[in-house]
Amino acid sequence: MYSELIADHFMDPGFVGDVENPALEFEIGNSVCGDRIRVQAGVTDGTVSEIAYRAWGCATSVATGDIFCESVKNTALADIASRTPEQIEAMLGELEPSQHHCVHILTEMHQSLLAEAQTQGVI
Amino acid sequence: MIEKMFSEAEKFGLKPLKMAISSPKALYDMSEEQLAEVKFILIKEAFSHHYESNKFYRNSCVEKGVSPDSINTFEDLATIPLVPIELYKSNDSHKLLSVGLNEVELEMRSTGTSGIPSVSRRCSDTVDNAVLGIYAMYREFFKISKGAGLYLCPSTEEIPEMGMIKALNMLAGLLDTHRFMVRNETFVPEDAVEQLAEWQNKFSRHIIGPPFLINRFIRYLKAANIKLKLDKGSYVITLGGWKRFSGEMLSRQEFNDECKEYLGVEEHQIRDIYALVESNVVAIDDEHGEKHVSPYVHFSVRDPKDLGREVAPGETGQLAILDPMARSTPGFMLTEDLVRLLPGTSASGRSGQRMQYVMRLPESKEFGCCAVNLDKRLDDLELEASSGTCPIVN
Repeated sequence: MYSELIADHFMDPGFVGDVENPALEFEIGNSVCGDRIRVQAGVTDGTVSEIAYRAWGCATSVATGDIFCESVKNTALADIASRTPEQIEAMLGELEPSQHHCVHILTEMHQSLLAEAQTQGVI
Repeated sequence: MIEKMFSEAEKFGLKPLKMAISSPKALYDMSEEQLAEVKFILIKEAFSHHYESNKFYRNSCVEKGVSPDSINTFEDLATIPLVPIELYKSNDSHKLLSVGLNEVELEMRSTGTSGIPSVSRRCSDTVDNAVLGIYAMYREFFKISKGAGLYLCPSTEEIPEMGMIKALNMLAGLLDTHRFMVRNETFVPEDAVEQLAEWQNKFSRHIIGPPFLINRFIRYLKAANIKLKLDKGSYVITLGGWKRFSGEMLSRQEFNDECKEYLGVEEHQIRDIYALVESNVVAIDDEHGEKHVSPYVHFSVRDPKDLGREVAPGETGQLAILDPMARSTPGFMLTEDLVRLLPGTSASGRSGQRMQYVMRLPESKEFGCCAVNLDKRLDDLELEASSGTCPIVN
């Protein structure tokens, strides 16, 4: 049911936690019954310099939070903005139908990060 | 004697736990002493499994000086370390797993008022146990094998991972037909009345759902002055919390009275189920309104001020569940529910524990399941709809 990628990021996440005085902060999720992910990030010279998350939900969404953080750390916001939907989908590897909603979560995380960066004037 | 029977069965590859789960009637017919022996053997084996397989849990046990070697009598079961239910909501809930994530077959969840989902993960063996256990209990208490189910809740297609809906949906497999009446977060009571009329004289009609949604339906019937008359073999089956999103408690007696008046059923046809997404136990009302705990699961009711102390039957306390069916995570959990075990013997003659749900722990910020959010959403939508028709310009 779970790929090695998802299992590794769920069982041994590298980015769970909080960022002190984050430049960016956002939360995504379904208020009725869905997954929730809160992300905090620091930005230096247009690059994500530090990032942490907390997630509540299914194993795949928790792993998705970790995969997202790993992929954007030390990456320029401009480069993150240039990712295509296909590239974003590929970041989660092969998924079962019941895990596929996490592609939407990952896409939303990208969009929220960039929207928050714009709001805060760091991009 | 029980131990000998189990070890003989094991010689033929039969699993004592699966035998017990499939045989609620035989267990309820046992003496209290025999049933205690069954529970002790199964729970001790489950404890040994999690102690051996789960590092996080084992470390907690070692800290408390409890190991499988220290569990030697039925009374010792009360010393088994308990997992507080809020750990299922934590973002590092992976530490609760006694099996690898790759062995997890099903994730189920429940979301109460906090909006933080409680996620329970079940391996194949646990799913087998839960499915066998739930169906065997449904058969024991409802004897349903036909009829039509009016589900006053959303379908599992709309919310596939919700434990409450999944458990209720399993009942549908025993019926001839069923309809989910909450679609896209909308409930139209007129449609429910129409559906019941369509099934009249074709099927025994059952109404199934969380108490709030059935209560919502009854409120409509009351307002429209409609009094239905369900069938002799009908059931009104509820599962879910009895506290509304507003904090208001729904009175069970008032609910029953209104079911009798507006749905045309007798008291023995109204059955509530107590269940938790984190556990595999179900406790179901019998025909006398007494809720029987799955006979292979032990409910240990604790003094909330001294959680190491069990309170006497009849006294209210905080519920701890010792569930041997859980193989992927320790089934030994401290809930946030206040319950009392009924003293004496059961009116139906069944052995084992009978419980009465009292309320959620007052200090618990969390209550309800997905139904409580749905109840709120339906209220919000009704408010929106009514404000849209308000003739005042704003």
